[in-house]
Amino acid sequence: MSSATTGALLPAGDLYPFEPAGVTRDPGRSRSGPAERGADVESAQPGAERDAVLAISGVSLRFGGVTALADIDLTVAPGEIRGVIGPNGAGKSSLLNIVSGLYRPSAGHVRIAGVDFTEVPTQRLAHLGVARTFQNLALFGGLTVLENVVMGLTSTIRSGPLGQVLGLPAARREDAANRAKAEAIVAFLHLSGVAHRPAGELSYGLQKRVELARALVARPRLLLLDEPMAGMTATEKQELAAFVREARDTYGTTIVLIEHDIGVVMGLCDRVAVLDYGRKIADGTPHDIAADPLVIDAYLGVAHDADETLEIEEAV
Amino acid sequence: MSISVTPSIERSLPRAAIGGLTVAAILFIAFVVLPSVGSDYLFEAILTPFLALALAGVGLNLLTGYAGQVSLGSAAFMAVGAFAAYNFNLRVPELPFLVSIVLAGLTAAGIGLIFGLPSLRLRGFYLAVSTLAAQFFVQWALTKFGWFSNDNPSGIINAPPLKIASVTFDTAVGRYLFSLGIVTVLTFLAWRLTRAQTGRNFIAVRDNQTAARVIGVPVLRTKLLAFAVSSFIIGVAGVLWAFAYLRTVEPAGFNLDRSFQILFIIIIGGLASIRGAFLGAGFIVVFPLLLSRLGGELLGGIVDSGVVEMSQRIVIGALIILFLIAEPKGLAELGRRAARRLGGRPT
Repeated sequence: MSSATTGALLPAGDLYPFEPAGVTRDPGRSRSGPAERGADVESAQPGAERDAVLAISGVSLRFGGVTALADIDLTVAPGEIRGVIGPNGAGKSSLLNIVSGLYRPSAGHVRIAGVDFTEVPTQRLAHLGVARTFQNLALFGGLTVLENVVMGLTSTIRSGPLGQVLGLPAARREDAANRAKAEAIVAFLHLSGVAHRPAGELSYGLQKRVELARALVARPRLLLLDEPMAGMTATEKQELAAFVREARDTYGTTIVLIEHDIGVVMGLCDRVAVLDYGRKIADGTPHDIAADPLVIDAYLGVAHDADETLEIEEAV
Repeated sequence: MSISVTPSIERSLPRAAIGGLTVAAILFIAFVVLPSVGSDYLFEAILTPFLALALAGVGLNLLTGYAGQVSLGSAAFMAVGAFAAYNFNLRVPELPFLVSIVLAGLTAAGIGLIFGLPSLRLRGFYLAVSTLAAQFFVQWALTKFGWFSNDNPSGIINAPPLKIASVTFDTAVGRYLFSLGIVTVLTFLAWRLTRAQTGRNFIAVRDNQTAARVIGVPVLRTKLLAFAVSSFIIGVAGVLWAFAYLRTVEPAGFNLDRSFQILFIIIIGGLASIRGAFLGAGFIVVFPLLLSRLGGELLGGIVDSGVVEMSQRIVIGALIILFLIAEPKGLAELGRRAARRLGGRPT
């Protein structure tokens, strides 16, 4: 069943959204919708959780005695760009690693595409319509840019090694179709000029973009971006932000964006959750978040009275 | 930050054509020109062992160069291939020799699969050490159980002649052509594999296992497949080594030194390069012969032959070190750079 859904997301050779889904085509609506719901969507609206592309509930992660994540709830609605921000070590990447099955949560469960998991099976992630990028470059340096992007379609491959080696018609057709899809995405992200260069030779910013292309090529329903802009120059950041927004608008991809840089997130995201020391301290529209005193404390140093509030909360 | 589009494809087309022509020219020389001009010495002492080792290099390069799984058990898989071919040939005489070779390759693939299982847990040096187990175990089993060598008291068996249908390849040129045919076919298939999705899976597992898993590459299956395919090719190389070159089948021909030799071939030739296996094998086989001739002629009368041989080894060792410092990516990369420079294209 899961492969059927993925298949439906991959109309051959079609670059344009096949479903005129209102939610995804109209950023304005998806932006105002969650805004009305406010900060605690999960508890207030069980319906939202059912429709959610991704719903994380009660997830905790402990390494020995260290608690990396404590009882995190997070829902991601179809077609939105969902930001998760927080200072270093807040547990953002851990959260993404749980969603992609690289970590097994100590408690809680993750709901992807209507299926509940206590441990997400990484091997089936692509079939579930989930793709991700990594905080550190995770390209295949020995492959060209185009080949890297073709690799993003691995989960759809039907032909076996023998068919590929012997060049059977089905395998050749599949390879040609995948190359065409990859070339389309490569062009979409303005990478055609370097398509045949080894990925490992490119500049940092370009490599990040290739990673985005590799994640996008299978038309995932849910795209997890782990600090895609870390280490980029201001110009590169703006470019990538534009690409992320365009990817959502063109392909209707739901995006979870983990970012360190508040500025980027505020301009790009529909809703933002803020993590600090493994707990979610705020969740809402960028506007709400920006005004939240807890968030300001977490980022700009702690005012004395707020510090006490935190300590009281922790004690409870 | 706008990047110009197009030139890459146009540029890659003539290069592919040039590559195809080069391969065709080499094959023409190897199949047609050399057999009519070469001496028996050339075929027996140089070209046949070169072909067998190059094929083993191709096999190991699939595993180590492409899939990133270091193995020190190559000679063991060669031995499995050689002894399997001998036994299939001996015990099922009605089997055509080519079928015996394929079955020998499959036997080696099976053994390779078993010794590839640790790769699911181990990486790098630890995996290399665990593949040493294959080396010691296979050699021990072949010596210990007389059945494998048909209870031959010395453990050294004369290999039966190479035969396809009713044609026997029992001259030096014949054995060379037989090897060349098999090496050409298997190398072509290996090259196809590296260009296909499966080959990309190998590289993905090598370059970033986590990212590969997230994308949906079946990491465990890919590693085991790499071991199986690699061992198949190395097993067939073992058949050639024993049947076409040594013409005896004995465990001692497949010791740890041989494993290291094959590893050196791909490191010197170039990891993750089919061409590299041939360049490396050429270097390892031909260079010592050249040096020994040179040494023999220059110093033969004056110095003791043992000393000459020792100094050759030292020279070769020093050259390998120097070369690897100058070009860590191997001979294949050196050739690529030279070609690029000749083509007048800046890097």
